[in-house]
Amino acid sequence: MAGLFRMEDPVPNGSERPPAALGRKLTQWRPWVQAGFLGVWLAPAGRWLHGIPGCVFHCYSCPLSAFACPVGVMANYAALLPVAGEAPYLLIGVLLLIGAAGGSIVCGWACPFGFLQDLLGKITARKIGLPSWTGWVRYAVLAGLVIILPMILGYKGIPFDKQAVSICRLCPAGALEAGLPYSVQSLLAGQGWIMSGLKSGILLSFLAAALFIHRPWCRMFCPLGGLLALFNRFSLFHLRFNAPQCVECNLCRSRCSMGVKVDQAVNVSGCIRCLECTTCGAIEPSLALPRNAPPNGAQKPSI
Amino acid sequence: MFQPIPQPPVNRALRAPEGRDFWSGFAVALAGAALAFCGAWHLTSLGTVDGNTASETQLVRAFSSGGLQYADQAAPPPPPKLDAAANPGEALDRWAKQRANFQPPSWKVRVDAGATTPCPT
Repeated sequence: MAGLFRMEDPVPNGSERPPAALGRKLTQWRPWVQAGFLGVWLAPAGRWLHGIPGCVFHCYSCPLSAFACPVGVMANYAALLPVAGEAPYLLIGVLLLIGAAGGSIVCGWACPFGFLQDLLGKITARKIGLPSWTGWVRYAVLAGLVIILPMILGYKGIPFDKQAVSICRLCPAGALEAGLPYSVQSLLAGQGWIMSGLKSGILLSFLAAALFIHRPWCRMFCPLGGLLALFNRFSLFHLRFNAPQCVECNLCRSRCSMGVKVDQAVNVSGCIRCLECTTCGAIEPSLALPRNAPPNGAQKPSI
Repeated sequence: MFQPIPQPPVNRALRAPEGRDFWSGFAVALAGAALAFCGAWHLTSLGTVDGNTASETQLVRAFSSGGLQYADQAAPPPPPKLDAAANPGEALDRWAKQRANFQPPSWKVRVDAGATTPCPT
């Protein structure tokens, strides 16, 4: 077990380099932007736009959720497919649009569940590293729990909300944002705790894991993050390596809490576009524009 | 707050700049915008409880509010509780009539746009 989480070939990195001005500002702004986006996803009156799938991982059963959870909508469509044959045009459109524009930038800057994990991660300083293959589990969750299993059970005539095993019944975001408020409400009304033992256990395990692993849900299980990360390789907003700026200090990789080998490639599926790596100055946020040079050009204007 | 983690050395000579073409991302974004726009106005093949055709936004809203009704959930009326009935024979006759008149619905799934179940699962 200890070997599973060991960092590979550690050598000291040059931490004496001062952070780049843009990267430093982005790092300072990010928590405030994340907090600001809570005002979008947690609409005070709640459930305004439940007919529209959002682009972040946020339970639609939360009393304050403004948009529908894209993962829940996807699983519902999968369960409905054998019965009604409906395709989720709106959901696919929203995900294509957001993904092609910014890749997984919503994970790093807008997702409320990611923000919560960031906050929990600040409580403890020491973190357990994860091997890179754990990122593939997200695609197993996406294919198995979100698409194939609901479809099979839907084919057997079981509606999604009656399925004993589904992403919604195992989701820690659902447990935290819907199960917990409704259970507390039920408890106060004298009707007891209504959240299942399994879901309560998942929530507690997840909260404990977030203290010692940076963004455990995002890195290992989030099907939405996995899906959006597929766009990282061709999204208009991207990160660019500026070789002349690199002094091989390894600050970029040291700053990445997601375990991405930033010194090798940054626009990969493990990246959540938090832009912490831009602190080094050699990794720059950039926007692909029609006037830009071809992809292999060494110098491009950056934003 | 930030703790540098020891890492292997950087080899910038092997590193690609990772710049990219505009048009592939733009084409996908455009397709996404078109799909989202069409999806917002799309009418599904499902009906609503009030006899209209459900739009895609109504269907998505139904997912989060327990608004999907399946035909096999529309069962014939259950038999009356004879212990509680004042006239058991009459209650049985009424139930038999209701059962005989029961017709399975012609729809497989329909949308109740007014459903408000806070957490369907």
